[in-house]
Amino acid sequence: MSITRRSMLAAPALLTGVPALAQGAPIKVGALHPLTGVAASAGNAAKAALELAVELINTPQPDLAAMPLMATTGFPAIGGRPLQLVLADQQGSPSVAQNQALRLITQERVVALTGGYQSGLTQTASAIAERHGIPYVNGESVATNLTERGFRWFFRTTPIGPDIAAIYMEFLKAARVNDRPISKIAIVNENTEYGTSIADVIRRTADAHGLSIALQIPYAANSADVSAQVLQLKDAQPDVAIFISYTSDAILYARTMRAQGYRPPILIGDNSGFSDDNFVQTAGDTAQGIINRSAFDPSRPGSNSFKINALYKARTGREMDDTTARTMQGFLVTCDAINRAGSTQPAAIQAALRATDLKAEQLMIGYRGVRFDEKGQNTLASVLLVQLRGREYVSVWPTETATSQLQLPYRGWE
Amino acid sequence: MPAAPRAASRLLLGALVLAAVLVWPLLIEDQFYQRVGALVMLAALSASAWNLVGGYAGQISIGHVLFFGCGAYASLLGFTWFEWAPILGAPFGVAVSLLLALVVGRPTLRLKGHYFSMATIALAELARIIVTNTPILGGAVGVSGPAMPRSVLDLSFISPLPYYYIFGGVLGVLLLFTWWMSRSRMGFYLRAIRGQERAARSLGVPAERYKMYALLASAGFTSLAGSLYAAMLGFVDPDSGLGILLSVKMVIAAALGGAGTLFGPLVGAAILVPLEEITNAMFGGSGTGVTYVVYGAIIVFISRFAPGGLAEILSRLKAWRARHAG
Repeated sequence: MSITRRSMLAAPALLTGVPALAQGAPIKVGALHPLTGVAASAGNAAKAALELAVELINTPQPDLAAMPLMATTGFPAIGGRPLQLVLADQQGSPSVAQNQALRLITQERVVALTGGYQSGLTQTASAIAERHGIPYVNGESVATNLTERGFRWFFRTTPIGPDIAAIYMEFLKAARVNDRPISKIAIVNENTEYGTSIADVIRRTADAHGLSIALQIPYAANSADVSAQVLQLKDAQPDVAIFISYTSDAILYARTMRAQGYRPPILIGDNSGFSDDNFVQTAGDTAQGIINRSAFDPSRPGSNSFKINALYKARTGREMDDTTARTMQGFLVTCDAINRAGSTQPAAIQAALRATDLKAEQLMIGYRGVRFDEKGQNTLASVLLVQLRGREYVSVWPTETATSQLQLPYRGWE
Repeated sequence: MPAAPRAASRLLLGALVLAAVLVWPLLIEDQFYQRVGALVMLAALSASAWNLVGGYAGQISIGHVLFFGCGAYASLLGFTWFEWAPILGAPFGVAVSLLLALVVGRPTLRLKGHYFSMATIALAELARIIVTNTPILGGAVGVSGPAMPRSVLDLSFISPLPYYYIFGGVLGVLLLFTWWMSRSRMGFYLRAIRGQERAARSLGVPAERYKMYALLASAGFTSLAGSLYAAMLGFVDPDSGLGILLSVKMVIAAALGGAGTLFGPLVGAAILVPLEEITNAMFGGSGTGVTYVVYGAIIVFISRFAPGGLAEILSRLKAWRARHAG
């Protein structure tokens, strides 16, 4: 029985020519991503990044030797067996995410699951993994409650809301507008899960830091006109405006602010829409000096991030964005744990995940490291701030790791 | 074939099908297929519930997700607010659904054909937008059930089998109700209304009232389906609980099998759900969207060649056989 299964499993690997370097039956890791539906572009970027990760793990990459599993072939601690990615489309539906998680666990016999993308889907899919006792590592979903459920098989590498709010506050406390500290902050957020949850956590963190949010303007991301919101900001004259937006609305805000000639002294555009290459290409020229957060800064030549980004760009023709990088890092952490477990037993992998202690230089992203607390949340996840210069974001905060000098005030179209 | 043996052979066939439906999940070990079975039961339940008003009464509602969402949200809000087991929220979901059906039905059931369908879409979308913007209802983030099962009442099982039988049991009750209704005065009234409402009215059928009865029954069972869905999944957000796609799926399952027939929605669900899950399992990972191409092609095929669903194909086959036998 075991011989048949092994040879059956080896068959697809033979087709791809992998066993020429790595030995034995492949070890399967499952990943759930939105390959169709509204988030398909993010899902397909993740797919390309994960396929790159599989190639890097299964072939020797002396250039990336600082990262685990890169210098060797496959999983050296498990007889050099190769890695196989089993990707499933969760179609943006919580129910499909559960079905696919169950299929990957019971039919494909994956040893661990990763991904999920939307927080709600990560929630339902990881509930299946928990019941079946299969490790689930998420690299990209930020809803705080995911690691508050008392799960024993769930791990998360990404920084979450409180980490993001903390760096904004740290920055705003140090920043000066006309040589005086910041006193008036405005938040403009799109009114669904992403915008609401980030706005809430920023508000709470600001209160804790003794800074208060003077004005909050929620809006619908599919609005065709935002001049009323911009007028509201113009009247209030805040020192800082923090936008939490998706792509099309981010572009609309940049244009409307240009049309109305409004520029706050400090403008922060939180990740999603403002990180999108579409925003940078179409509206970047009118949003010079906007500050954004990212965990991925590929601008330093020689760094792991730089090299991974170059490989990704060679494959897809695009720059790797922050979300894709966080997804890929989560997947790499999973693979490292499987190797350290020295076995494909779920309990051994779970123990290895708990013992994870990766240093900053072993990562492809700008975290301070990876170490999980008892809830499964990475305690060393961190974010950095970047600023738009021309059509590129450069890192400006924290100053110790920054590659460029912060420039204030916000310049916009000048 | 004489009447008595024919009835006996139909009874035997029915018993065999029922036995097969009850036993097959026990014979396979694959949990994924067992779960697909449970989802078929759930889809059959909501499509059959839709069938009461959409099939028998001929009022094509594309807003039934409103009632489904009521059930799903009632289950999980009961947990979020009071830590109830999700299924205990189901009666409240049904109550709210009945109330909504009364309020919504009075003006919309006066509308004919497409206008009724459009009004139901608008109402369901309105509900989705209201819930998205109401923090106490979970807002855009959605609401969750218990993370860990606390007791058997939480209906949180590792195996999909209990879900299969629970959903199947409720479906059985609904089918009995539908069968009873279709043979009662109400069934005849509804068919008359579907055929030609004006003619039915002129013959003294109280059309408004009976359409409302059908809508109430339909809303109650759809809400129950929503509660069961939420109990199994443990999560609902505005898109997954109140999205228009769910309404459309109920309509398609019923239309595929044959709307206005007892077993039509079951047959439709038994074809569509596995088709969707299995095409996704086979092609989904490639990220090319083949799943939807296959799914869409089948729907186009049905609407082109058999707008009455499989029931129509079956009756055409029978007619063809009768012609050639005679």
